[in-house]
Amino acid sequence: MTFDISRRNLLISAGAALGTFALGRTQALAQSATPLKIGFISPVSGPLAGFGETDGYVLEQVRTAMAGGVTLNGKGYGVEILDRDTQSDPARSGQLARDLINNDGIDIMIAVSTPETINPVSDACEAAGVPCISTVMPWEAWYFGRGAQPGAPSPFKYTYHFGFGVDEFYRAYVSQWDLIETNKKVGVMYPNDADGSAIRANLAPRLAEAGFEIVDPGAYETGTSDYSSQIRMFREAGVEIFNTFPIPPDFIAFWRQAAQQGLNRQIKIVQVAKFGLFPSDIAALGGLGDNIASAAYWHRDFPYTSPATGLTGVALCDGYEAATGRQWTQQLGATLSAFDVAMAALSAASDPKNKDAVAEAMPNLKADSIGGVVDFTSGPVKNVATGPIIGTQWQPASGGAFKYDYVITENATDTNVPVSGQLRPYNA
Amino acid sequence: MTSLIINAFLLAGYYAVLATGLAFMYSVMNIINLAHGALIVLAGYGLYVLGNDLNLPFPVAIAIMMAAMFLLGVVLHRAVLARAYGGGELLPLLATFGISIVLDNLMFQTFGADNLSLAPLVGDLSWASFELPGSIFVGKISVYILVTAIVVIGLIELLLRRTALGHRIQATSQDRATAALLGIDTGRTAAIATGIALATGVVAAAALGLRSAWGPYGGSAILLFAFEAVVIGGTGSLWRVLAGAIVLAFAQSLGALVHPQGFLIGGHLAFLVAVFVRLRGGRISLARLFGKEARA
Repeated sequence: MTFDISRRNLLISAGAALGTFALGRTQALAQSATPLKIGFISPVSGPLAGFGETDGYVLEQVRTAMAGGVTLNGKGYGVEILDRDTQSDPARSGQLARDLINNDGIDIMIAVSTPETINPVSDACEAAGVPCISTVMPWEAWYFGRGAQPGAPSPFKYTYHFGFGVDEFYRAYVSQWDLIETNKKVGVMYPNDADGSAIRANLAPRLAEAGFEIVDPGAYETGTSDYSSQIRMFREAGVEIFNTFPIPPDFIAFWRQAAQQGLNRQIKIVQVAKFGLFPSDIAALGGLGDNIASAAYWHRDFPYTSPATGLTGVALCDGYEAATGRQWTQQLGATLSAFDVAMAALSAASDPKNKDAVAEAMPNLKADSIGGVVDFTSGPVKNVATGPIIGTQWQPASGGAFKYDYVITENATDTNVPVSGQLRPYNA
Repeated sequence: MTSLIINAFLLAGYYAVLATGLAFMYSVMNIINLAHGALIVLAGYGLYVLGNDLNLPFPVAIAIMMAAMFLLGVVLHRAVLARAYGGGELLPLLATFGISIVLDNLMFQTFGADNLSLAPLVGDLSWASFELPGSIFVGKISVYILVTAIVVIGLIELLLRRTALGHRIQATSQDRATAALLGIDTGRTAAIATGIALATGVVAAAALGLRSAWGPYGGSAILLFAFEAVVIGGTGSLWRVLAGAIVLAFAQSLGALVHPQGFLIGGHLAFLVAVFVRLRGGRISLARLFGKEARA
């Protein structure tokens, strides 16, 4: 009996890998009555709105590209995208997901950006048996945060996540911090939240093993307005590298106070995450923003093309800048890559309208995307494919329309990405 | 230890600036303005537009915004608060809560999700510091904020105690009906008082923008600190707000000394103690919570 089931799975898997996807419909009329419905949930307003800011533009590109329908395995379909704004509220995320599932009858769900958005949507999809693709949050917080146990088989059948995890941060940081001669003393400010706790428990010990001395004053509460005690500790310890995962207003307050105390003059690498993803964060720092080091889950120089839209990274970002007058952000490519993966998942299934068929095709999926190959066959756990974290730095621009260039300084987690500049010491 | 004490005092100056408008509005109008934080954020956007987009000097931008917020206060009073005032304690609370939600979302629609800061308008000032003996560094901007807090509170107290307008405001606050009988135009007086409260919010916005940054939904965090400072201090005189801010800042700094996570908890504990002390043995009311008493 067991043998039968596994053989059947094997056959399905073998078939699934052959899926093809093309823009435009070969057989338009017959299927246009029942289009593929894609649910898309992201935080467009509320405190997380920085993430969702570019989603409108990406949706426009995807809708334009798919206006004439798509062809999956030789069969034509119309595509309808139903986008919803969580208003940065986790409860609303789950509610929107259930609404899209029950009332709109979506075939596949996409959820993008932060645990507050993704986890409730994934839970709703898992419960209802609807395939769900998500990206842009540490996969550990997605997988273990939703009740999976280390070492045990994955409890999830319908929900799949791709993107960075702690390991990518580790490799990027070690690679980045070896670019400049320092005393290897790292001051860290990890907040008392899901990201901060995960990083403290999983990243800090590995950095210590790699020969960095971690100076950790302990978790702080988000919204703290005075950081004198931490700053004093970093000054006394003589840290030359600084790493933090704060929300933007907290870091701006902290870093100004640190500069008042002269801490900025002793630190050679300021490595921030969560803050500094987007150019507006750095601009708000004023002159203190020059040469802040960051890490990117996507960059316009990624040498990949989006199958869902035919856009390259450069074309996507140039288009965004021309349409809005604002500088490109890494979220553009991240959101688009989720559509690339979703379309690949639908085309890998024997029938894209059959949710179980799509779910069964997912573990064997190797999808091209604007962020590179998303490979669920080699992930750390069944439902996860890892993606890169690339070391970057906000360097003052030498010309052009925007104040800062987002320069790639290392590429340990995806060597196809071209390094475009040298890491500069912060205090130089 | 010295630097800890100095820092706590400077932080208190910031909280006092945030709380002054809230306390003034309550002591004069009996309205707990839950839109206080959102209005400060709105003033911040105003300063940003004037300073960054129109390139006006920072003091000019502050002056213009104070005038604008004063007018907005008058309008706000006439359009909303005056109508809500007659409906008991709860109605103004709900009305201002609604205003804060509308403002949050309007600001998001208008200005987007970016975190903005006023620091680029003043060069290096936001991270410049004075060096005291014993290599203690004190942020210049924090010192200026503390001085500003004392000046603003002093000016408002002077206004309330020494001017005819101040006396009218006090009379209106203590007994609106009697004040009206004595020929005071209470509606106009209350509108002016609201305008003054909102104008002080511009100073708070400047302090916020120079110290850190804000986004469209930043108002609630500001409201929390302001509210705590006001409840701890009480609202009889605005100097008590400064005292409340000092207690709050010291409680937070002590909390952070015990554990880095203790910063906010220390402040919340001080707030809870204040609540219990104020409400002990008696009926629960907003007036008692805010330690409201008549001015000497």
